[in-house]
Amino acid sequence: MTESKKRYLQVPQGTEGVHLEEAYRHRHITQQLFELFRLWGYLPVETPVFDFYDIYEPLLHHSTKNVYRLIDREGDLLMLRSDITLFLAKQMGLWLRDEDLPARICYADTILRHQHAEDISRNEFFQVGVELMGKAGSDADLEILLLMETSFLRLGITPSIHLGSHKFLTSALEGCTENQLNQAMKYIFAREMDLLQELFATLFPVRRADALVSLFSFIGTGEEFEEKLKGYEDVLEAREKTDLEYLVYLVRQMKTLGFAENLCIDLSEIGAQPYYTGIVFQVYLPGLDDAVASGGRYDKLLDVFGFDCPSVGFSLLQRKIEDQIDAKFGRPDKISKVEHSSFLESFKAAQKMREEGVVTIL
Amino acid sequence: MSQHNENSPLTLALPKGRLFDQVQDYFSQRDLVFKFEKRKLIANDETGLLKIFLVKNADLPTYVNHGIAGLGICGEDVLYEANLRFFRLMQFDFGKTRMCLAAKKGYGQPDSIRSVNVATKFPRFARNYFYSKGVPIQLIKLNGSVELAPILGLAPYIVDLVETGSTLKANKLEVLETLRDIDVHLIANPSYYKLNYRRINHIIDTLNKNEHEENQS
Repeated sequence: MTESKKRYLQVPQGTEGVHLEEAYRHRHITQQLFELFRLWGYLPVETPVFDFYDIYEPLLHHSTKNVYRLIDREGDLLMLRSDITLFLAKQMGLWLRDEDLPARICYADTILRHQHAEDISRNEFFQVGVELMGKAGSDADLEILLLMETSFLRLGITPSIHLGSHKFLTSALEGCTENQLNQAMKYIFAREMDLLQELFATLFPVRRADALVSLFSFIGTGEEFEEKLKGYEDVLEAREKTDLEYLVYLVRQMKTLGFAENLCIDLSEIGAQPYYTGIVFQVYLPGLDDAVASGGRYDKLLDVFGFDCPSVGFSLLQRKIEDQIDAKFGRPDKISKVEHSSFLESFKAAQKMREEGVVTIL
Repeated sequence: MSQHNENSPLTLALPKGRLFDQVQDYFSQRDLVFKFEKRKLIANDETGLLKIFLVKNADLPTYVNHGIAGLGICGEDVLYEANLRFFRLMQFDFGKTRMCLAAKKGYGQPDSIRSVNVATKFPRFARNYFYSKGVPIQLIKLNGSVELAPILGLAPYIVDLVETGSTLKANKLEVLETLRDIDVHLIANPSYYKLNYRRINHIIDTLNKNEHEENQS
């Protein structure tokens, strides 16, 4: 093999090409999701591939190391699109007006993030999602949760949804230092509950510390969660109870509508991104190594870009789930070939068949 | 990633080497008995709760990260080097060791002005440790027998795990400083845990409950 050929075979970590049948399937799935979003009243937006790095840096938190940066010809530091929600927030912050609200927005686009060499199966290349901007409250939260579950069901997948609350985290740790909050989040993310217990023992009375550790460890059904809450009536503040009862309310509403088949309340879901302010959720599927969709409420994010408006949304990593999706999204089964005596005749016959919806090649 | 259903056993990766016997004893004391047939690398425990893979210590995080094994047992040293996200569900009281800075006897601490060579199997840990202390170093990555480096003149200092210190002593080396205590953890692939939390919590309860009972007796 020549040296130049060898070079062509290499691609940088975190990039990929999709070809032929796989690309067909990929686009077909995106189209199905977009058709669903259209029926729910969501309009598409396109975000820039790169933007100025400095405006996003405070919002990137721990993910700065995964962002690709470059310098433009004027010497400004740019970043490639690593999270569509962030880029979208800036765009919407600039262009939305009060009379546009509520705005229902959907997107499907490539994202570029560095991937650890050990981590190449993550497939975090393509985000599809929706944002409901300018609508606060439970109706909006429910709309997004229901649309997310419907999106998976449309693809033939029953999602395991884990619903948590970033708001409960901030309520419970109100008055703590930023350092203590970060420490608590780190332990909850890693489920290091012994260390969380040690930290809370320094911050709260014993019973409250025990209750909070037990709650942040909790994963279970809405009914199990309600049962658990009864044991902590006396140690939780009114605001915390409201935050937690709100989760129970959402689950009940979804059940009433025939959804939430596989939904559990999971208070260790606190939101990986620092911009979340309310509910947060992730979707897990058997056979996949990490969450395939995530989302939540972020009421202050657009304000960073000059437009104060509540928002809630979700995004799914489409490339991660494509192998699990029903075969009906694959290449069309039947491809007809026409071979007449001349090209002109073949073409005319093929056109007729195409008008009837038959995939035809010459 | 390994498929799961309520009837299939949970998958657990165990490291070959120093920890394996201790894990096997610890589990068998809690009625989770397993043994590997000669040269086999996959075994089931007698209750059918666990399917166990025997993997190279440094590769264990990779198997768990990809979800090939949903659970794993390994030391903080390996987890630190892998730098991947796992749930740390339980810390064991066996297998404790120390990450140490060592050198030939009488060599003294590296100074913070001149860069010195440090040989190690743990480059990420060593780099971050000396960086945090403001000490310039040149790292030399080795894959084993790190004690040889000072003796043969490859590097005056080493960063390595020290259990009893007898290997260092035999090679006329001494610990200059303990950089970090190393514990052994039960780790989980986050997605695997979320999908199997009831059964995994049951295993953890079994291990903890029996441990407590053992302490009381």
